[in-house]
Amino acid sequence: MKELPKNVVLEVEHLKKLFPVFEKGILFSHQTGSIHACDNVSFKVEKGKTLGLVGESGSGKTTLAKTILYLFHPTSGQVFFEGIDVFKTFRSKNKQDILSLRRKMQYIFQDPYSSLNPRMTVADIIMEPYQIHRHIPKKEWPIRMYELLRLVGLEDYHSERYPHEFSGGQRQRVCIARALAVEPEFLIADEPVSSLDVSIRAQILNLLGDLQSKFNLTYIYISHDLSTVRHICDEVAVMYLGRIVELAEVNELFESPRHPYTKALISAVPTSKPGQKSNRIILPGEVPSPINPPLYCRFYPRCKYHIPICKKKDPKLEEILNKHYVSCFRGKEKLD
Amino acid sequence: MSKDHTKKEMTKKAVKTSKPISQWGIAWKRFKKNKAALAGLFIEGIILFMAIFGPFIAPYPPNDISAFMEGRTREAPSWDHLMGTDYTGHDVFSQIIYGAAPALQVGVGAAVFSMVIAVLVGSIAGYYGGKIDTILMRFSEVFLVMPAFLFLIVLLKVAMTITVAGFGLGLTILVLGILGWAGDSRAIRAEFLKLKEYEFVTAAKCLGASNRRIIFKHILPNVLHLIIVLITSSIAINVILEAGLSFLGFSDPNIITWGRMIAYSLEAIRGAWWQGVFPGLAIVVTVLGFNILGDGLRDALDPRLRE
Ligand SMILES: Nc1ncnc2c1ncn2[C@@H]1O[C@H](COP(=O)(O)OP(=O)(O)O)[C@@H](O)[C@H]1O
Ligand SMILES: [Mg+2]
Repeated sequence: MKELPKNVVLEVEHLKKLFPVFEKGILFSHQTGSIHACDNVSFKVEKGKTLGLVGESGSGKTTLAKTILYLFHPTSGQVFFEGIDVFKTFRSKNKQDILSLRRKMQYIFQDPYSSLNPRMTVADIIMEPYQIHRHIPKKEWPIRMYELLRLVGLEDYHSERYPHEFSGGQRQRVCIARALAVEPEFLIADEPVSSLDVSIRAQILNLLGDLQSKFNLTYIYISHDLSTVRHICDEVAVMYLGRIVELAEVNELFESPRHPYTKALISAVPTSKPGQKSNRIILPGEVPSPINPPLYCRFYPRCKYHIPICKKKDPKLEEILNKHYVSCFRGKEKLD
Repeated sequence: MSKDHTKKEMTKKAVKTSKPISQWGIAWKRFKKNKAALAGLFIEGIILFMAIFGPFIAPYPPNDISAFMEGRTREAPSWDHLMGTDYTGHDVFSQIIYGAAPALQVGVGAAVFSMVIAVLVGSIAGYYGGKIDTILMRFSEVFLVMPAFLFLIVLLKVAMTITVAGFGLGLTILVLGILGWAGDSRAIRAEFLKLKEYEFVTAAKCLGASNRRIIFKHILPNVLHLIIVLITSSIAINVILEAGLSFLGFSDPNIITWGRMIAYSLEAIRGAWWQGVFPGLAIVVTVLGFNILGDGLRDALDPRLRE
């Protein structure tokens, strides 16, 4: 057990996840390097709050989420949930502890098409958590299942159908119902609407919002759509090449971003205010490869504000203002 | 506006009353459209009927040699003997009917038995990977390269010499099963390797599902279509192997089999074509039937064609 600061439910400390890269030799394949998918990431999430995780595709958001839930084995680092050492619990092989932790933390997948078993009916899918955890009496299973279906906006007759008979939005509702069946306290939603029709995205996001207030859930909301992040989140972390480069309270981040990368991301959000000129910052170059990244600032090749030290040392994530963290040597300056 | 509303209501109702369709339902719909596959099913239906109801439909009892008494051995097909008689006076048509049961018993029995081994080995190797996988796959390679038929003959010969009376079909099933799983286990392993990376498996893990639950409840049902196809072609192979073995005399002499019938026809000094051709045809038709049935199942169950 670890004493977490008041209200903090999740604490991630120096989390690292590397994927080995192999090259085929004549006889054997040998490791030539590592993908630094998630590299030394630390943050905290408070009870009932939503942390937004933004960054381009490939920046390591999914890897971070799955590693927190021990769906990927971490390379190093620690995660505490309500003071419980998550990785230690999963490594302990103590079935009871593992199951009780699994019940607390759940995950909503980006792709609702591949995350439902095509051979199971919706009823089987939603009741499976009951079979695994046995936290409610068997005769209540169908009652609870129908309750969940209605809660996520589906109807009773949907229960005997198979996933392929549903639209993307409905499938995502099934996924949400399945996650809720264990009565979790914490939910990671990994781009839950990015594979859905634009017209139904708002519905799903509203549903997630309603559920949060109803069950006092804590969220990590992963997205590359900054406009929804601004809407939903309390705090936002910006990821770039496996690192958090900036972390702040949502309004603070959107109104006074400090990291050049965050500035570029925010400038790309279309503004609804008429007459406002869009001064979109176009980043030069491409996202560098996450395989064996440089030992100096990872954003250096694309940064127009760089100074000599940027190519010599790796900046740390530092608190420059109250609860505003930036990983940039010029983070304290107001760059324009 | 109200018109629009009622229309919406109606489609909703229509959806409500229509029956849920499982993946198997879709597959059956597709299978029904395939004439060749239906023919395969029909053929095997007849063979199965013969195997189950043989004693009731065969015109003569198994050991009936009344034709011999009447001096009507090696008689060409006639109304009395639809496929003629053999040189000891057995009715060939009746014998063909009696031969269906052992052919199916060995074919299906060996196919199911080898599939049980294949599923166990393939799923464990594919799901757990790593060292277990390497060991199991090396082990299966041994069975793949082994000259199985030779091995089989030696084993059966030994069995025949140590058992005084007939040894039935069990031993043949056992040996064919043990020798036949390796190729299928590799196909199942490949499917497990692929499916364990699917998000619905990750979702099950996230819910706390045990490895056993994931293997049996999540992955295996999605491999079932492959298992069905593999079993069907494995039955065909085992029917041929059984025929070959009994042709060579490595089977229980008390059981009438198509392979044995062909062998007897060769032993007869002056060949009577019906004695060998009809059991040969029975084997060919049965094997062909399973093969086209298997092809039809493969097309009907192909996940790439799913709507
Ligand atoms: N299972 C995996 N094996 C190897 N590399 C992976 C795996 N999953 C993700 N990666 C790599 O890790 C990096 C981060 O990917 P991901 O976490 O999916 O990013 P995001 O979710 O932000 O798009 C990418 O370079 C990706 O190729
Ligand atoms: Mg992702």
